[in-house]
Amino acid sequence: MIRGGVAVAQPAPPPATPAPAEAPTPAPAEAPTPAPPAATPAAPITVTGRVVDAVRRPIRGATVRREDGAGEVVTDAEGRFSIEAPVGTTLVITSDRHGVALAGVTGPVLDDIVQLPELTGEQIEVTGEAPTPAAGAAELDRQDIQRLPGTGGDVVRALSAMPGVVNQQIPLGYSGVVIRGSSPQDSKVLIDDFEVPILFHPLGIRAVVPAESIDTLTFIPGGFDVAFGRSSSGIVQLTTRPGSEARSTQAEVSLIDGGLISQGPLGEHTRYMLALRRSVIDFVLPLVIPSSVDLSLTTVPQYWDEQLRIDHELNPRWNLSLSSVGTDDIFELFTTKEDAPSKRFFTRTRFLRLTGAAKYHDGEWQANLALSGMLAEIDAEVGLYQRLDVPTALVTPRAVVTRTMREAIGLRDVVWSSGAEAQIGHSSVDIALPLERREGEPLPPYDPRDTTTHFRGAVWFPDFAAWTSAAATFDPRIRITLGLRADYFGRPRELAVQPRSELQIKLSDTLTSRFSAGMYRRPPEFQTELLDPHVRSERSQQLTTGLEYTPILGVRLQGTMYYTDRTELITHNADGTLNNDGRGTSKGMELLAMVHGGAWFGWLGYSYSNSVRVDAPGGPVRLFDYDQPHNLNVAASWKRGRWQLGGRFTLYSGLPYTPVVGAEFDSDRNLHIPMPGAINSARAPIHHEVDLRVDYAWKWGPAAMVAYLDVQNVYFNRSVVTYFYNYDYSQRSAFESLPFIPSAGLRAVL
Amino acid sequence: MRRAAVLAVLAGCSADVDPDWQLSHDRVIAVRAAPPRLASGEVAAIDALLGHQGQPPDGVDPDTAEVVSPASLAGALGRQAAHWTVTAPGGDQLAAARSELGLDAGAPVPLRLRVGFTRLGQTALKVVWLGQHTDNPVVDPVTIGGMDGLAQVQLTVPAGVDVPLAVNFDATYNINWLTSCGTMHDFDLATAHLRVEPEDPHAGTLAIVVRDTLGGVAWHLWPITAQ
Repeated sequence: MIRGGVAVAQPAPPPATPAPAEAPTPAPAEAPTPAPPAATPAAPITVTGRVVDAVRRPIRGATVRREDGAGEVVTDAEGRFSIEAPVGTTLVITSDRHGVALAGVTGPVLDDIVQLPELTGEQIEVTGEAPTPAAGAAELDRQDIQRLPGTGGDVVRALSAMPGVVNQQIPLGYSGVVIRGSSPQDSKVLIDDFEVPILFHPLGIRAVVPAESIDTLTFIPGGFDVAFGRSSSGIVQLTTRPGSEARSTQAEVSLIDGGLISQGPLGEHTRYMLALRRSVIDFVLPLVIPSSVDLSLTTVPQYWDEQLRIDHELNPRWNLSLSSVGTDDIFELFTTKEDAPSKRFFTRTRFLRLTGAAKYHDGEWQANLALSGMLAEIDAEVGLYQRLDVPTALVTPRAVVTRTMREAIGLRDVVWSSGAEAQIGHSSVDIALPLERREGEPLPPYDPRDTTTHFRGAVWFPDFAAWTSAAATFDPRIRITLGLRADYFGRPRELAVQPRSELQIKLSDTLTSRFSAGMYRRPPEFQTELLDPHVRSERSQQLTTGLEYTPILGVRLQGTMYYTDRTELITHNADGTLNNDGRGTSKGMELLAMVHGGAWFGWLGYSYSNSVRVDAPGGPVRLFDYDQPHNLNVAASWKRGRWQLGGRFTLYSGLPYTPVVGAEFDSDRNLHIPMPGAINSARAPIHHEVDLRVDYAWKWGPAAMVAYLDVQNVYFNRSVVTYFYNYDYSQRSAFESLPFIPSAGLRAVL
Repeated sequence: MRRAAVLAVLAGCSADVDPDWQLSHDRVIAVRAAPPRLASGEVAAIDALLGHQGQPPDGVDPDTAEVVSPASLAGALGRQAAHWTVTAPGGDQLAAARSELGLDAGAPVPLRLRVGFTRLGQTALKVVWLGQHTDNPVVDPVTIGGMDGLAQVQLTVPAGVDVPLAVNFDATYNINWLTSCGTMHDFDLATAHLRVEPEDPHAGTLAIVVRDTLGGVAWHLWPITAQ
C-alpha cells in the first residue's frame, strides 16, 4: 500500500490562514514514501486519513479543508475523513477545541494527524454533529452537562434531559437509569467501557462520578451494536477525562459535596488525572431536619468517590492507560432518638474498579486490549433480623481488533471488528430479607421479622462473550452494518446468540436515515436472580428507525421511532420462586434538537413512550412501573464574558402506581396486609418545572474562579410523585416534588 | 418500605395521616386468644381490642369468626354464650392436621382464624396454636412518669414535657404504646415517651399492647388527661 502524509501539529494560528499555494507543506523526513506517479497536482486523488488528539483518541467533527479552498469535509466519529485533493496540497485541520494542524498530501492514505489542544485548554464545545452510535443516541460533554440548568452540574440529572430517559425528581428504590420505560436493571452504565454496580450515591443526589472527572457522556437508548452486551434496553457510557497538557489543580465545594481534581503531565509522554470527592450533606442535613422528627442521624448519607486516570504514549502505535473508579457510600440512621438496634437502618455500598488498557493503531489496524477488575460489596442491616451482605470480586479481560479498509471485496469504507471478553465473578451471599419486590408488585407491608428470603453461600458466575461485525458502504448513500454477538451465561448455562444490523441511507449531505434491528439479552443478575440457576436471561428484540439532520456545524436534529418486544421476563411464582414467564412491549418516538452556536447552547428533547407487559401467560396486560408517556425538556444557555445564564423547562408524566383498595389486619404479625387494585392502574399527575442557572467566572490571583447557583423548580410546583399509605392503608399521603432546590457551588482552578 | 419512609421524611413528605400510635382511629388493634396455645382438650376464648375515631378503645368479642385453615379442624371453632372459643381436638385429629399441613410429628398446629367486627366493617387474622400450652404475656411492671403504672386507674400527666414510659420486655417482644392524648415518641420500643403539646388533645386514653413470638398478646388501658 502506498502510504504518505505528515503528522504536524502547531499552536493555533488563525484557522483561516492557509499556507501559500505555491509552497505546499513538505513531507517530513520520517515519512518519505514517494507519491505515486499518477498523483500529480493537476490530478486530484481520494485522500483518506484520521485526526487524533495527543493520546491518539479520534477527533470527530474536525474540519479538513484544502488550503486552496476547493474542498472541505468533516471527520466522522472515528476521526476519519476522505477528501479529493492533488498530491502536494496542504490540508488545514481545525476543530473547536484543538489547535490548527497542517498535513501535506503525499498519497491516498495519510498517517494520523495529531491535533494538540489549544493553549487555552478548557474550551469544550459539542461534538454531537458526527454520526451517533445508534439512531436516537446523543452525546454530552463536560461543559454541556455543566451548562444544563437544573442538573447542579451532575451527570445523573443531565441524563434526565435525554429523550427516552424516565424523569423523576428523586429515583426511589433504584440506582440506575430507566430507558424507554423498561426497568433500571435492563440498561447498563459503563465507565471507561466497563460496568459499575451503581450510578448514583444515596438518595439519588449525585452521580458516582463528578462531571469534572468525565470527558463525555454517551447515551444510547437502544439499537446499539454487538460490542455492547448484557443489556436488553440501553447503554450509558461515561468516559473519564484524560489529564490535561498543563498541570492544574482545582477544588469545588457545594452544599452537597466537595472535591479536588489534579491533572497534568508526568514526563513527556504521560498524563494523569486524579479526583477525590466527599459528601458535605452529612454535615448539612442534621441542621435542616426538624428536631421533632424521630430520627438519629448517625452518618446520613456519607460518601466518597475517586477517579484516577493515567495515559502513557508508549510509541506512535501503542498507548497505555490505567484508570480507576471507586465509591464508598454509607447510609445509617435510627428512626428513633434512642439509637435502638431494632430501629436501625444501615446500608453500605462500595466498589473499586481498576482497568488497565493498551490501544494499538497502525494504518488499517486497531486493537484495544484491556483487563479490568472490580471489588464490590453491598451491605445492609435493618433492625434486628434482616441483613444483606454480598461481597463480589469480578475480573473482565477484553480484546477488540478492528481493521478499517478503504476498499475490500468491491465495497468502500469497510470496517471489520471482532472482540471477546470474559466476566468471571464470585459473590459470597449472606441474605435474610423479606421476599424481594419485583416489577409491578405492590410494596409489601413492613415486617421487621420477615426473613422469607434467606441464603448463605457462594455463587460463581463465569460469563463469556464474543462478537464480530462488519460495516461497509455499498453505494455512496448506503452503508450497512452486520454483526453477531454470542454470550454464554455460566450460571444458567445459557448460550445467547444475538444478530444485529443497521442500515444507513444518506438522503442528502445533511439528512441521514437509519434503521436497525437486533436481539439483546440481560443475564439474570438482579436482586436474587443469581441464586437460582434455573432462571434464564431476559430477551428483547429491538427495531429502531430514525432521521438525523445536521444542516450546519453545531446543529443537530434527530427523530427516532422504536418498537421493542420483550420476552422471558423474570417474574415471581406464587410461592416466591422465579420464572421467565413475563413478556412485554415498548414503543415510542423521540425528538432531539441540539444547537451550539457562538454564545448559545440550546436543547430540546421530547419523548413519547408506551410500555406494557404481561407477567404470566393469560394474565392481564399492565403498564411497566416506569412507563412515562410524555417527557419534554427545553433548555437554553447563554455565555458572555464572565457570565453564563441558563434556563430549562421540564414537563413529564407521572409514573403509574397500584392503588390499595383494602387491607386486613394480621394480629400476630401486628401489620395490615394490603389488597392491591389492578396493577399500575393509576398514575401520578404531570409535573412541570423551570430551573435556572447562573455562573460567574473571574480571576483571583493565580486562580480561575467560577461560582454558580443552580435553582431547580423556581416556581415551587409541588406535584405528586407518588403516594405512601399509612399503616392500615385507610389513608394515604402524597409524596410531593421537592419545592425549591438551590444548589450553589464554587470552583477554583490553579 | 422503611427506606421509602426514610426517604419521605428526609425529602419532606407531608405526613397528613394518622400515625401508628394514634388510638383515635377506627381499627382492630389486637386479637387475643386466651390462652394462645392449647393442649388437647383445652378451650381458648377469643376477644379483641378495637380503636375508634373520637371515642375510647374497647375490648370486645368478635361478631363473626371462621376457620381459614386447616379445613379439617373447622370444628375446633365454636361459640359459648357470647364468646367465640377454640377447643383443641384430640391427638388423632391433630396428627391428621399435621399430615395435611406437612408438619413434623408433635409440632403445634396453627389454626388460622378470620374474625369480623361489624361496627368497624373490618376483619382480622389470628392464629391459635394447638397441641401445646402457653399463656399470654403479662404486662407488669409498667412505669409511667416514674410511677407504677398498674397502680394508677386514671393518669394525669404534665403538658409540654416528655413523660417517660417503660415496660420490662426485651427486643424480641413486639411492643406498641398508643394514645389519643398527646404525641407518642418511639411508640414501638420498650421505653417511649409521651409529650402533650398545646395543639394536642388533652384527654383520651393511653394503651400498651405487647405481643410475644408465640402468638401471645396482652394489653392495658388507662384514661389519661394532661394539665
